[in-house]
Amino acid sequence: MVRPAVLITGASGGVGRGIALACGEAGWSVWIAARRPAEGEAVAAEVTALGGAGHFVACDVAEETSVAGAVAAAVAADGRLDGAVHNATSEMSAAKHAPLADFTLEEMRHHVAVSLRGSYLLARAAYPHLKASRGALLLLTSEAGFEGKARLPVYAAVKAAQRGLGRALAREWGPDGVRVNCIAPLATTPALAEAFARDATMKARVMGRNPMGRLGDPLADIGRAARFLLSPESAYVTGHTLMADGGSCPVT
Amino acid sequence: MSGTTIVIGPDDGDSQRFASALGARLVPAPAFADEEGWRAWRDALVSEPKASGVVVSLPAAKHEPAAISTLALEGWMARGEAPLLGWMTALGGAAPLCADGGAIVAVVDGPPPLDSAGLAPEAAVAEGVVALVRSLALSEGRRGVRANTVTTPSRLLSGPPIAPDPPLAGFPGTIEEDVLAAVRLLLSADAAYLSGHCLPADRGRSW
Repeated sequence: MVRPAVLITGASGGVGRGIALACGEAGWSVWIAARRPAEGEAVAAEVTALGGAGHFVACDVAEETSVAGAVAAAVAADGRLDGAVHNATSEMSAAKHAPLADFTLEEMRHHVAVSLRGSYLLARAAYPHLKASRGALLLLTSEAGFEGKARLPVYAAVKAAQRGLGRALAREWGPDGVRVNCIAPLATTPALAEAFARDATMKARVMGRNPMGRLGDPLADIGRAARFLLSPESAYVTGHTLMADGGSCPVT
Repeated sequence: MSGTTIVIGPDDGDSQRFASALGARLVPAPAFADEEGWRAWRDALVSEPKASGVVVSLPAAKHEPAAISTLALEGWMARGEAPLLGWMTALGGAAPLCADGGAIVAVVDGPPPLDSAGLAPEAAVAEGVVALVRSLALSEGRRGVRANTVTTPSRLLSGPPIAPDPPLAGFPGTIEEDVLAAVRLLLSADAAYLSGHCLPADRGRSW
């Protein structure tokens, strides 16, 4: 049996880990492309324990050669790439809650480099391999990108920009049989926990608009939905943003 | 509209004409790639008087459509990252310049989704700007400031590259016919309850 191969950036924790485990339980070869080797290796081991083949590859998503190298390593080992997921987000996402006028150029640049440049670099590096496999690209966006955020405006902007990029790529790559989608998760992650800790009313605001009354599980609720978008089961879905958020953001 | 209006845009003839058509004063903005210029621009804004209408119009440079797979990092930076950072800085400056009860309007070049192949950086920037403006609508709304976006493909496209044609003739429209009318509406009291909205001025190509 040929295992589908997928590379996931920022998969050493949080939602990325959930997507990795979901792909692992389906028996896929999963490349954890991240900066932290210890955490990345641990997730790779979890993937393998679930029946997949987990691998860690060092990757800084803002660096062209690093992203290209991670993709090349996966393709060299597996001989194919069926899916690429840009999940990595700036660690500043949860660290600064402020109006737009209070953000420095350096802070803005960091958000843009990790989320948006990372999306572009992964898309460009993965494209020939996804074309060969008629595979799929998946970008992690957010409901913030639809609605804006009074105190997370830069995060909202880069998440929206990823969606614009994904929709354009869906049109570019459709003739090659490569699908491009986004997923907007709401899940229990260390980043969200940190955001809740920094903003005393945020949890009440988030839960107050969630009709299901709970945060998503990174594996069961987000990972499996992401796996669907990566798999041939969604072969006719492209240019879409799937809101995996318990109905919190009723904009699509 | 009553009160004063300023236009934040490049220091060129197009911006001058745009500002003049709105009866506004132009506050020149640096080129996207001029990082030091943006820093200085932001610092200099403290001396600007507040206005009841603030229009931010930062045109994208026109490029031949290019697939992402063929776009080098330098091209991506020039077409995607630098413009988005410029917009972040400009809108961050626009918010404090807008008087209580005033209106902010962003005019951004964005391809309709149907026509976005080859224009992925511009599509990304446009979506990012829409979200930035919605963030301003939320953060500034408590002092009565509205914030809305007009998207236009008129400076990016010369016509619809794929079928079907848009429902209205004349795609992709013009700044004079399509964009100015939308901006006037969003600045006016007729739009007193519109905020966080994105109005594609593209003759029905997207909605």
